[in-house]
Amino acid sequence: MSEDDTLPPFLEGRTVLLIEDDGRIAEEIVGELTGRGFNVHHEETGNAGLDAALRGEADVMVVDRLLPGCDGLSVIETMRQQGIRAPVLVLSALSAVDDRVTGLKAGGDDYLTKPFAMEELVARIEALLRRPDDTRNTRLRAGPLEMDLIERRVWRDGREIDLLPREFRLLEYLMRRPSQVLTRSMLLEDVWQYRFIPRTNLVDVHIGKLRRKVDAPGEEPLIQSIRGTGFQLRVSD
Amino acid sequence: MALAAMAGVMLMQFGLVYAQMEAVESRRSTELLQGEAELLAQMSPEHLEYVIRRRATDDLRLIINSAGLFDAGHALIAGDLHTWPKGLLADGKPHNIEIYPEEGAAYPLRLLAVTLPDHTILVLGRSFHLLAEQKFMLRHAMLVAAVPTFLFALFLGVALSHRALSRVKEMHEAIDRIMAGDIHERLPANRERDDLERLAGSVNRMLDRLEHLMDGMRAVGNDIAHDLRTPLSRVRAKLERAQSGERDPEQLEAAIGRAVDDLDQCLGIITALLRIAEIENSRRMAGFAQVRLRALMDDVFDLYEPIAEMEDKKLQALPSAAEGLVWGDRHLLIELLANLVDNAIKFTPEGGSIVLDVQQKDDAILLVVTDTGTGIAPEERQNVLSRFYRSDKSRHVPGSGLGLSLVCAIAHLHDASVKIESGPNGRGTCFSIAFPALVPA
Repeated sequence: MSEDDTLPPFLEGRTVLLIEDDGRIAEEIVGELTGRGFNVHHEETGNAGLDAALRGEADVMVVDRLLPGCDGLSVIETMRQQGIRAPVLVLSALSAVDDRVTGLKAGGDDYLTKPFAMEELVARIEALLRRPDDTRNTRLRAGPLEMDLIERRVWRDGREIDLLPREFRLLEYLMRRPSQVLTRSMLLEDVWQYRFIPRTNLVDVHIGKLRRKVDAPGEEPLIQSIRGTGFQLRVSD
Repeated sequence: MALAAMAGVMLMQFGLVYAQMEAVESRRSTELLQGEAELLAQMSPEHLEYVIRRRATDDLRLIINSAGLFDAGHALIAGDLHTWPKGLLADGKPHNIEIYPEEGAAYPLRLLAVTLPDHTILVLGRSFHLLAEQKFMLRHAMLVAAVPTFLFALFLGVALSHRALSRVKEMHEAIDRIMAGDIHERLPANRERDDLERLAGSVNRMLDRLEHLMDGMRAVGNDIAHDLRTPLSRVRAKLERAQSGERDPEQLEAAIGRAVDDLDQCLGIITALLRIAEIENSRRMAGFAQVRLRALMDDVFDLYEPIAEMEDKKLQALPSAAEGLVWGDRHLLIELLANLVDNAIKFTPEGGSIVLDVQQKDDAILLVVTDTGTGIAPEERQNVLSRFYRSDKSRHVPGSGLGLSLVCAIAHLHDASVKIESGPNGRGTCFSIAFPALVPA
């Protein structure tokens, strides 16, 4: 495990409630999350999971779509009716065309199709635990970067950066999530609203073009690649 | 059952012959009696009396069995009828009357009485013994005929049903062999002369189609195995080498990274296959709504332009494109176009160009992707749409080989057709997807 894998201090010790009936997958997930400093509570059935959720100890939940005895979605629905607001990541072996939509409608906040990479899972859990900066502010600031959302202009330490609309959108997404690991599929889904794209290096090309404009030669690189995972706008607050 | 029906038919046949025979005999005897009476009435009374007396030796007896000449008071003048038959009317019409002779049993006669000009009455009678004889013969014939007829029918029935049953049995055996796994076996259909053979012919054609499909599936299965085995064996080799040899952390990490990349390729193939199956099986169109293909084309252009530029290829979305309103699933349609564009970029050499367009043609909306790439030979155009097909010249290009199958599956779900042609000037490839146009409500 490299230093990239350690959690930012504010995520240390946060509780993840995992409701998953497949023992081996659960073991992998528990191992990975515990290793990264999360506090993981694992339940195998929908009912036990629901009880645990209703006790309100979880900061974030990972719920398998298909559970013995009941549907993962009904657990989420019941829990939401009882006023539990913890964000939920739905796991599913199905990727049916409208399955994702039903998953999100039932009260899930994100949806991940099996098989997935552990980095993807961790990045999404982290994203759910951080609230993106969705302020109505018309000016965003992240490290040396400043963005005017009305005039659609960006500066780095006072130097204006000339961006295409698609590059502007991508940078805005990054600036709302500073220092957060963002996977390629998160970027595709959130910035472009695409899900199944034949090759994922598309995102790398877009990031590459943006990086060349944001990080001028001699400047400290802000947009970092994280091997095997994705990208990060690294700024010190 | 069949035997009872046959017996019924036979009885009915005999009954009809019987009735017909009776009617014919009755008509014949009436004609004979009337003809004879007319002939005799023209004779002089003396001569007639003589004839009647002599009739015992006359040939008249053969046709007219009894005769009598009576006076007006019904008293016998001459003849072999001793008394006036009871109830006989002298009206010149035949009557069937019972005769009671002086000795012996009563017998029926068909009698006809005519009043002559001298008021004597001529009575002629014809017995029924001929009819009785014929009836007897007929009954006899029926009995005699019934036995061989029944036997013959029985034999014929058994033989025919045995033949039919043996054909059904042959079919059963053929089906058993097919079910046991011999899918090349066919039912005996010969030249399809009857219903059974025509049915067998239909079943055979169905089996041909299934065998063809199974061959296709088997080929797909083999292709999957091949396409998965290559990266998996690479992973295995890398991990094995890492385990036995180099312990340098950096090299180890690089080896693990490459192994993960290979595994990702395997997962990509599996995901694409599942995705195709999912789209092909999807009959639900819950996610369907109005989609503007032009806007979709601009989005895909926006996503792919940087990569085309990086690879020194020119990606263009025609500004003259029609709006292209269709009914569909936006995400799937993006996937379709993204696959086409991805494919076009892959097979276009550096310096080439890829053009995207949306056209309105009559009541169809065409989504057109034209490239200046290697092109697809006409005989290969159908194949490239099937799973895992790669022409030899594209073997070196990485990819799951499933992109165009996915395009087909999505197009099919949208009632759209996929056409592959040569690009302008016969170079490159032009994919056009024809959607049914949506008329704005």
